Amino acid sequence: MNGRRISYFEASARMRLSGLVDADSFSEFCPPELRQTSPHLAQLGAPQAFDDGVVVGRAKLAGHAVLVAAQEGRFIGGSVGEVHGAKIRGLLDKALVKRPAAVLLLADSGGVRLHEANAGLIAISEIMRAVLRVQAAGIPVFALVGGSCGAFGGMGIVTRLCAEVVMSEQGRLGLSGPEVIETVRGVEEFDSRDRALVWRVTGGKLRRTLGEATRLVDDLIPAFRAAAADLIARYQAHPLAPASLVALLDEQARLAARSERFAGARDGREIWQAAGFADASRVPELSVAEFNLHLGETS
Amino acid sequence: MNAPATPSGRWDNLARSRAGRLARAAGFATGRLVSADSIVPLLEAVIEPGDRVCIEGNNQKQADFLARSLVKTDPARLRDLHLVQSVLALPEHIDLIERGQVSRIDFSFSGPQAGRLARLVESGKITIGAIHTYLELFARYFVDLTPRVALIAAQAADREGNLYTGPNTEDTPAIVEATAFKGGIVIAQVNEIVDRLPRVDIPADWVNFVVQAPTPHYIEPLFTRDPALITEIQVLMGMIAIKGLYAEYGITRLNHGIGFDTAAIELLLPTYAAELGLKGKICTHWALNPHPTLIPAIEAGFVESVHSFGSEVGMERYTAARPDIFFVGQDGSMRSNRAFCQAAGHYACDLFIGSTLQIDLQGNSSTATKGRIAGFGGAPNMGADARGRRHASPAWLRAGREGRGNIAMPRGQKLVVQIVETFREHMQPTFVERLDAWDLAATANMALPPVMIYGEDLTHIITEEGIANLLMCATPQEREQAIRGVAGYTPVGMARDLRMVENLRDRGIIRRPEDLGIRKRDATRDLLAARSVKDLVHASGGLYDPPQQFRNW
Repeated sequence: MNGRRISYFEASARMRLSGLVDADSFSEFCPPELRQTSPHLAQLGAPQAFDDGVVVGRAKLAGHAVLVAAQEGRFIGGSVGEVHGAKIRGLLDKALVKRPAAVLLLADSGGVRLHEANAGLIAISEIMRAVLRVQAAGIPVFALVGGSCGAFGGMGIVTRLCAEVVMSEQGRLGLSGPEVIETVRGVEEFDSRDRALVWRVTGGKLRRTLGEATRLVDDLIPAFRAAAADLIARYQAHPLAPASLVALLDEQARLAARSERFAGARDGREIWQAAGFADASRVPELSVAEFNLHLGETS
Repeated sequence: MNAPATPSGRWDNLARSRAGRLARAAGFATGRLVSADSIVPLLEAVIEPGDRVCIEGNNQKQADFLARSLVKTDPARLRDLHLVQSVLALPEHIDLIERGQVSRIDFSFSGPQAGRLARLVESGKITIGAIHTYLELFARYFVDLTPRVALIAAQAADREGNLYTGPNTEDTPAIVEATAFKGGIVIAQVNEIVDRLPRVDIPADWVNFVVQAPTPHYIEPLFTRDPALITEIQVLMGMIAIKGLYAEYGITRLNHGIGFDTAAIELLLPTYAAELGLKGKICTHWALNPHPTLIPAIEAGFVESVHSFGSEVGMERYTAARPDIFFVGQDGSMRSNRAFCQAAGHYACDLFIGSTLQIDLQGNSSTATKGRIAGFGGAPNMGADARGRRHASPAWLRAGREGRGNIAMPRGQKLVVQIVETFREHMQPTFVERLDAWDLAATANMALPPVMIYGEDLTHIITEEGIANLLMCATPQEREQAIRGVAGYTPVGMARDLRMVENLRDRGIIRRPEDLGIRKRDATRDLLAARSVKDLVHASGGLYDPPQQFRNW
């Protein structure tokens, strides 16, 4: 327990970036001094941020060139507005030209910014298409999910389009957030204040068990860095191949079967039981190393 | 021959009274064992109007089944009772007053019932003898407030009536000893009756009746603080305490009050204090409940010994697995003892540090607020100079020199520290010209304003602005300016004399974080050895089993 451990969950977007990439390698696009703020928030008299809640730029990670975007969950829940979305989309477009080893999306977002919903929805669809374009060009996009807002709504979809999803247990991934489900379907459907249940259903351990997250790491910035560096090395050795129709159909069939198999499941415990964990109720207590050991991998 | 000089001409009235009560109760018990159904008539048979009764209510363990049963007794038969117990925590304690069965109380702490109690005092339904500190009330059990009937709580009994109180022994030995040896009657509620106890904490011949409660007695997890809620201001204040006080004086023996400020210090020991090379030099011996936030420091080898007032829910397996650190019976489970630990905190510790709600310009501090009679608990015993102390230690001697100057007769002084943010919840200033305790004393007709720690005992104040060393203040004016000088933007702080405060800073009486070589930007939560309750579980190797309300997994 000795020494400082830098929590990814508690860090700001800029702190995450500075611990994630090689020291002094980051160079920001559209930096705060350009004051590219949201025109919609200004009209509503709402607080603005000089980076509109997302930091984008280029950097090195373990010596490899990468493009990175880090959402700031502390600014309106990391929500995607017009400028915010354009910055991510622009970054992805740049990847087609610069051909970095990977694009890293540090997602920390509840989804579209309600203040500028139409622009945000369009931005999300642009980001989705851009991710697919970049990956079709052989450049993998990694989503890193470990912030307090998780990756929900449109950012949940974007995350699932990425070639790799690295999560911490604290990270959450889903479409509708717990509060939204409770508001729409009632507390009987999902009690958003039962934090343990929320994490058992949306948290990193369940997402990893289901294969939606491809890595589960400790809530430490260096752990995310190590996972990203390892993934880059793997894609350098085995470049991303365009998805074949057969593979896509197989994946579609696998997901359909999974959705049928767990249609009645109400809690992550049922899935852990099905996944062969000896004591499903104890899974949340396992350390990341123990959990990964059970899944048959080393972290 | 001399005839006995008592009105009845006898010397065994207490024993005969006890025998009479036991005879009346015989029909409701089988030997010492009473069934839960028979407890109400048994209480009616044993208790007499005007009796002093203790319903064991510690700040954690509660004799809740016996309290509920007492509320079911006939108010015409059991009335004018005088409650003498450390804590009024359960609604039933106050129900007894509302039902007219209790007319007088002597206690220490009323926490959750503070508001109801204040209303009953104002309406004249109850007379408060006094609000004590724990040690003071236990002392009076052996002088002029001895219970006639004690209703206590234990984990288990055997069929003879021996009791196992286990980790949460708390007040039980003090209550039973006073009652059993002065003609009183002891009735114990237990969670289970077993053939063989792990160990005997209270021998059967001090106990008159045992009843198995339908549900286990309630225990409040009072000392659990979720590291996730510790703020960076609290981290900064913890760094100031460690570097500016603990390291400076070489504090090895200490007590921490409850709160997030002290939890932050505990979680900084294996990180920040270790980086400063303080392992083995500070915080080795404690009078402290088994705080979950101390786990990382224990695991890092910082701590040599911890004696506890009570236990803490979920810490049972951890304390049992660390018998070199905690006080553990030969059966393998911890034993606590509030009376002994209070004495240890008063006499054998060099430092007490805790939080409060209000501090005035003389340094008096209080947690009293209008409309709530909350009482004290144990803090005043820890947070007071032990003037009877005769053993020396470097920290104690240095504080004595700072406080008394180089006078002919060497004396030491205990370090008594308040660690507070300048503003508390809802932007209420912590520093005030006048304590709310004065108004409470007036409305509740108290002889003394309820002051938690007196200014004359207070040696240091730590806020986010730095440390004020009150020992080194030469005059009351300097002392006032030293307090204003760390009171931030509160009205009291704004009214500081800038020149005097800068002079105090030049003399090291006020020390800012930068004077201590602490950079405020270093005060981040990343310094905490655990940032969540789950981190504490992992640090304990899975031995700590936190209660449900502290889990988010």
